[in-house]
Amino acid sequence: MNLGLSEERSIYLQIGEKIEDDILRGILLEEERAPSTNELARAYAINPATAAKGINLLVDQGILYKKRGIGMFVAPGAKSQIIEKRKSSFYTRFVLGLVEEARSLSITEEELIEMIRRAREEGKQ
Amino acid sequence: MSDTMVLSCEHLCKEYNGKRVLDDVTLQLEQGHIYGLIGRNGAGKTTLLSLLTAQNPATSGRVTLNGEPVWENQAALDHICFSREINPLNTFGSAAYKVKEYLRIARAYYPNWDEPYAERLIGIFGLDVKKRIAKLSKGMLSMVTIVVALASRAEITILDEPVAGLDVVARERFYQLLLEDQMETGRAFVISTHIIEEAANIFEKVILLQDGRLRLMEDTDELVSRFWAVSGREDEVDAACTGLTVYHTDRMGRAKTAYVSTAPGQNIRPLVAGREVDLAPLSLQKLFVAVCGDEAAEVSGR
Repeated sequence: MNLGLSEERSIYLQIGEKIEDDILRGILLEEERAPSTNELARAYAINPATAAKGINLLVDQGILYKKRGIGMFVAPGAKSQIIEKRKSSFYTRFVLGLVEEARSLSITEEELIEMIRRAREEGKQ
Repeated sequence: MSDTMVLSCEHLCKEYNGKRVLDDVTLQLEQGHIYGLIGRNGAGKTTLLSLLTAQNPATSGRVTLNGEPVWENQAALDHICFSREINPLNTFGSAAYKVKEYLRIARAYYPNWDEPYAERLIGIFGLDVKKRIAKLSKGMLSMVTIVVALASRAEITILDEPVAGLDVVARERFYQLLLEDQMETGRAFVISTHIIEEAANIFEKVILLQDGRLRLMEDTDELVSRFWAVSGREDEVDAACTGLTVYHTDRMGRAKTAYVSTAPGQNIRPLVAGREVDLAPLSLQKLFVAVCGDEAAEVSGR
């Protein structure tokens, strides 16, 4: 079953992000065993080599670590590390596009800030 | 098997009645990987597969398994399975058999044949082994070829259009079975298909044939990450595409979309920086259409 992978982005990047999402949402806890290559390959119906590439990406960043003979584990501090990483890309991934679109629609800075404020208020309820 | 099996061909050519259908193909297939073979109708896919498995003699070039020629070499062929599409109209050949008789022949032919596995697969697909091949539906014919391919346990296993007749449930099941078995055994699978979109994630490597030639052979991930649709005003798109390989363009008024690729390892963003264009990544299916689709455009006299 293809559980919501997009066709047009590198699959291994998406696998890495899925694991990160699970860590952020507390589905995977620190010091817990992460899904294996084979489990990921099965769950997403993808080539195991691709799944391994996604896992290795997180190992390289220190988000997962390898316990010999047992498998991959979520590193202590992984969650705050992911938050830091995503914060630093938040500006380029979301804010720049938002501002650009607002400009092409002649939305003023005040209107834009007001919209953000409203979205934050509505999100609280 | 301690050695990793490598099936290679060098400068492989095939002509039928003076017409060249396979032209100078050189490639290597290694155990441990799943290869997807794609190409348009008549690109030479089945010809290549039948030459690799010594079911058809090459006009020139050679095919070897770990350095040993494959042609008329049973020791090499023992490690290779080519499960072809069965022709149900061939009533004096395979189609006259019952499914169980057909599988018994396969069992005799493949030395690594795994009978319990074959029985499990028959159960999973719900195949009636007492039926005659000639009486099977298209989907059931595909299932028989899949059972033969998987249960052969050959180190190099080749399937030609295995999912052609299968419904979507059976196709998903096939991909799962394939992945399970590949993870367990580390065999090589080569799969030709026209259903590219759904199989793209299964393939570790893609082989693209065009007009009998090897056009591309690359890791699926790397291949997909090199292809982009660049769109915007015509002059901006043209300026952004200098230094990129352009395969196909669409125009609509002043708007233009160019389907392009970068060289391996090259990042597209610095190349288009400062240009007012949108970048969209391409899926394997879309890049396939971009690379192979222009033959039709030429015919329509553009």
